[in-house]
Amino acid sequence: MTINLDAKAPSGELKDKWTKHKFESKLVNPANKRKFTVIVVGTGLAGGSAAASLAELGYNVLSFCIQDSPRRAHSIAAQGGINGTKNYTNDGDSVKRLFYDTIKGGDYRSREANIYRLAEVSNNIIDQMVSQGVPFAREYGGYLDNRSFGGSQVSRTFYARGQTGQQLLLGAYSGMMKMISKGKIKLFNRREMMDLVKINGKARGIIVRNLITGELERYAADAVLLCTGGYGNVYFLSTNAMTSNASAAWRCYKRGAAFANPCFTQIHPTCIPVHGDYQSKLTLMSESLRNDGRVWVPKKENDSRKPADIPDEERDYYLERVYPSFGNLAPRDVSSRQAKYRYDEGKGVGPTKQAVFLDFRDAISRDGIETIAGRYGNLFQMYERITGDNPYKTPMMIYPAVHYTMGGLWVDYNLQSTVPGLHVLGEANFSDHGANRLGASALMQGLADGYFVAPNTISNYLASNPLEKITTDDQAFKDAEAAVILQTSKLLAVKGKRTADDFHKALGQIMWNHVGMSRNEAGLKQAIDGIRKLRDEFWKDVNVPGDAGNFNLELHKATRVADFLELGELMALDALERRESCGGHFREEYQTPDGEAKRDDENFSHVAAWEYTGPNSSPVRHKEELKFEFVQLATRSYK
Amino acid sequence: MVTSAVNHYFRSSIGRKQLVAVTGLLLCGFLVGHLAGNLLLMVSSNAFNLYAHKLFSLGPMLYVIEAGLAGIFILHLGLAFKLNMENMKSRGKYEQKTKTGRGTTFASQTMPYTGLILLIFLVLHLISLKFGTHYEVTVDGVVMRDLYRTTIEYFSSPIATAWYVFAMLTAALHTSHGFASAFQSMGWNHGKYFKNVKRLGLIYAILVGAGFAGLSIWCHLKGG
Amino acid sequence: MSSENMTLNLKIWRQKGAQTEGKLVDYRVDGVSPDMSFLEMIDVLNEQLVRKGEDPIAFDHDCREGICGMCSMNIDGKAHGGFKNTTTCQVHMRLYNNGDTIVIEPFRAQAFPLVKDLAVDRSAIDKVMMKGGYISANTGNAQDGNAILIPKPIADEAMDAAACIGCGACVASCPNGSGMLFMGAKISQLALLPQGQPEAPLRALKMVHEHDSLGFGNCTNHAECEATCPKGISIEHIARMNREYLKAAFTYHEKTRT
Repeated sequence: MTINLDAKAPSGELKDKWTKHKFESKLVNPANKRKFTVIVVGTGLAGGSAAASLAELGYNVLSFCIQDSPRRAHSIAAQGGINGTKNYTNDGDSVKRLFYDTIKGGDYRSREANIYRLAEVSNNIIDQMVSQGVPFAREYGGYLDNRSFGGSQVSRTFYARGQTGQQLLLGAYSGMMKMISKGKIKLFNRREMMDLVKINGKARGIIVRNLITGELERYAADAVLLCTGGYGNVYFLSTNAMTSNASAAWRCYKRGAAFANPCFTQIHPTCIPVHGDYQSKLTLMSESLRNDGRVWVPKKENDSRKPADIPDEERDYYLERVYPSFGNLAPRDVSSRQAKYRYDEGKGVGPTKQAVFLDFRDAISRDGIETIAGRYGNLFQMYERITGDNPYKTPMMIYPAVHYTMGGLWVDYNLQSTVPGLHVLGEANFSDHGANRLGASALMQGLADGYFVAPNTISNYLASNPLEKITTDDQAFKDAEAAVILQTSKLLAVKGKRTADDFHKALGQIMWNHVGMSRNEAGLKQAIDGIRKLRDEFWKDVNVPGDAGNFNLELHKATRVADFLELGELMALDALERRESCGGHFREEYQTPDGEAKRDDENFSHVAAWEYTGPNSSPVRHKEELKFEFVQLATRSYK
Repeated sequence: MVTSAVNHYFRSSIGRKQLVAVTGLLLCGFLVGHLAGNLLLMVSSNAFNLYAHKLFSLGPMLYVIEAGLAGIFILHLGLAFKLNMENMKSRGKYEQKTKTGRGTTFASQTMPYTGLILLIFLVLHLISLKFGTHYEVTVDGVVMRDLYRTTIEYFSSPIATAWYVFAMLTAALHTSHGFASAFQSMGWNHGKYFKNVKRLGLIYAILVGAGFAGLSIWCHLKGG
Repeated sequence: MSSENMTLNLKIWRQKGAQTEGKLVDYRVDGVSPDMSFLEMIDVLNEQLVRKGEDPIAFDHDCREGICGMCSMNIDGKAHGGFKNTTTCQVHMRLYNNGDTIVIEPFRAQAFPLVKDLAVDRSAIDKVMMKGGYISANTGNAQDGNAILIPKPIADEAMDAAACIGCGACVASCPNGSGMLFMGAKISQLALLPQGQPEAPLRALKMVHEHDSLGFGNCTNHAECEATCPKGISIEHIARMNREYLKAAFTYHEKTRT
């Protein structure tokens, strides 16, 4: 075993761990902080807040973003809200309860110490964002408003209309802008990370491509923070943004950072269905719609009647039928799976049959059209703009879509990967959500990592590791850059017939069919085989016009697809090896008689961390055993 | 370079715009006074001439007021010209550009041109009336300038009248945007009241435009 | 409104880079489904071009949900196509008819230099924000969120302004190329909130001066920005900025570095 999966979680009582750890961490003298440089890749909630906070401490920060501005990172698209355990609503919330809900929601596949810390700092996040001018929703008395969200029984979600992610990101962005004006952050926009540079075993720099000029650039630092988000776009169609990609994380994996639980992906039940093969992405409709909308399909197969013509007794309100106590508000993984079952039974609706109804008829007749418009007006409008259908008159059609990836680079309690000096924050790491993420927790984790965890643990790393002087002329930089140039020229030299998107779509089909909402051994093996073939074909038949010396969008795409074609295989392999069902990972072989996920705590209560061993050899699966000292493992039930 | 905020104000986009707004509103006020005085034409020749005489007899004070007025006018015009020149450089040069119909109006789009027409008008106006033919008349034993006669004579020409009507409609167009715009520039836009400010601007533009244009026609009919 | 597949004639601005000349080039796209988004229609065209070995059309886009502010384009003479409260990525082809000719240009303004084809450099927006589009609250400074009470109408109004996605449509559609709406939205948002008060004067001064130095034009109250803003931000926020700036210019007593 060449990699060390020591979680470094401090000992002692759960509630004292983080305080103790902070106290035991080494500090960097304020006057010495300016001697250190830290690279932060990505400017979403995790990257933006980390860059600003580290710069405030006095470090020199080099910040990189793929878009033209840090404000465009995909955190911006989060709608619902952010959890905090303020207990302003007096409904019995506490740090412990948020901790418990999160660990249960993740189907007991995450680390206790990390989650407790997450719950602990959740309140600081709310305070911090308020002080930065985030206009959270308020009551008439001027106090912060809360709403409820799936997977918990308390109202602890803070929100800013349907644009919470946007407002939080703009808060983090504004902190960055402040520190840029003070000269402590240097911003590099329209840059894509191409490789990680290691010197003496430590992460010491990165190679990036300037997307406008096509030039490769080298940057050296004392530590590297990777905040590049998840890899949901491996499925081609997902709710991720078009440039969301896995390349930065994947290149780090190839440089020795273990990749943990790649098969844990979240498929969100309420998205606008696919309506054509030209489709470029999927749009999420907020989970909150399920508070009033009823999900159903016709009882008859291939029923092509208009929804209004189907009488109640011929409708199957399947969530209410299967989960009488949670009904339409069953958690994401469970609801998605049930929708898939209906499609499999031939009861799907709409032109592609890959859809179910989300019907507001009863809510409108109960509460009146005005009330419903007040609650969901903007979502209804968005739905109508995209589909051309009016949800006040005809039921919405929805279908599950890939939304979030719980897996990611393995990190310890300090958010450090298996490569010393490489820290991974936000969705890019695997740490806090186990096998399923609860709503309104992604924003919380990104900001917790960036504002409160990384600034402490980075100082500890810098203070306790001797870091020799290096420059970007070191051989390691030259080698890494040469490797990127080589790969680029290989891509350009293929001059085949198919576009990068073509291959990406084909990969997406394989992933969706076999590594999607439900998986089985035969399918996964078929997927691995199919991906390998597709990858060979890609390197023989992809067409990337133009050259590397300018703004070449096809080259950017092809580079990302090349990495997705490798990552997809690892996901399938991980899914194959995890012979149990948990959270978003549903193996058909491991289910209860009524079709629910069946965990195997005896054999799989661990994190699977994959080690890269070279282009022509299989990756090695390592285990970090999960020890539950404070939580009793139980079966999740929403019946 | 270290400058004080106040210094910078007079070079900033917002500062200069606010000066255009304030001078514009002052000119709007001047127009109301001017119109009220001119309406005396319709009362009687004596009333009008007495009013004019009263103004002339202010002596040096008149020059101060006139200089102030000229200053306001020049500031308004000069700054607007400067802002417009800058804007010609900063705007996007499109192959095709259309209005949404919800923002830019004909009035807002033509502000520089209507402004230019009003400048030409002003020069001609001063030449033909203020510095026009000098007649004298005796009212209540006092010899004074017969501006009434100058005016009526001038408007006997249909071309002069038509030009005045045109210029006054231009003024209406200019102020129909300018009035409310000045409020916006000064920051006096509150969701609750601004609709009414816009309405007031429109009423103002119609009244002043129609008032002056109507008077020109009245003079023309009187003289013809 | 069309419900069947369409053929469209496009006139798209092609320009290799800022230093070269550009021109409108004619393209024909067949089989455009009314359910496609505008950008998916461009995707289809680009796939055709790549297959032919030609350089695809460069354009900015990312979330395709109308929130990231990355997509731009001046469609038929209007920023984002000129549909109410809609970004380009949310324009769908059912709004067009078979045989339509659509002219597509980049966002244009002196402050937004062209990068390639339909992509422009909008970093001037960030530069304005760097001068004060923030509240200086370092991590760890914060007191309890409820220690500052903010009346709901104020919070709502601040949120109206904060909804800005920084797309630059206000600049692109402004007959003067002015950036007052996006800047006004930020200054107004932070001036409305009690947290933003301590820095309000300096913020207004520094941001306005930066705006002026970056090649943005002067506002002459056309309100075309409000009409094209995909988030429907009102020019009331420009008015609040004007007020803040006026107040700051005459009352702020520290020397300001410009």
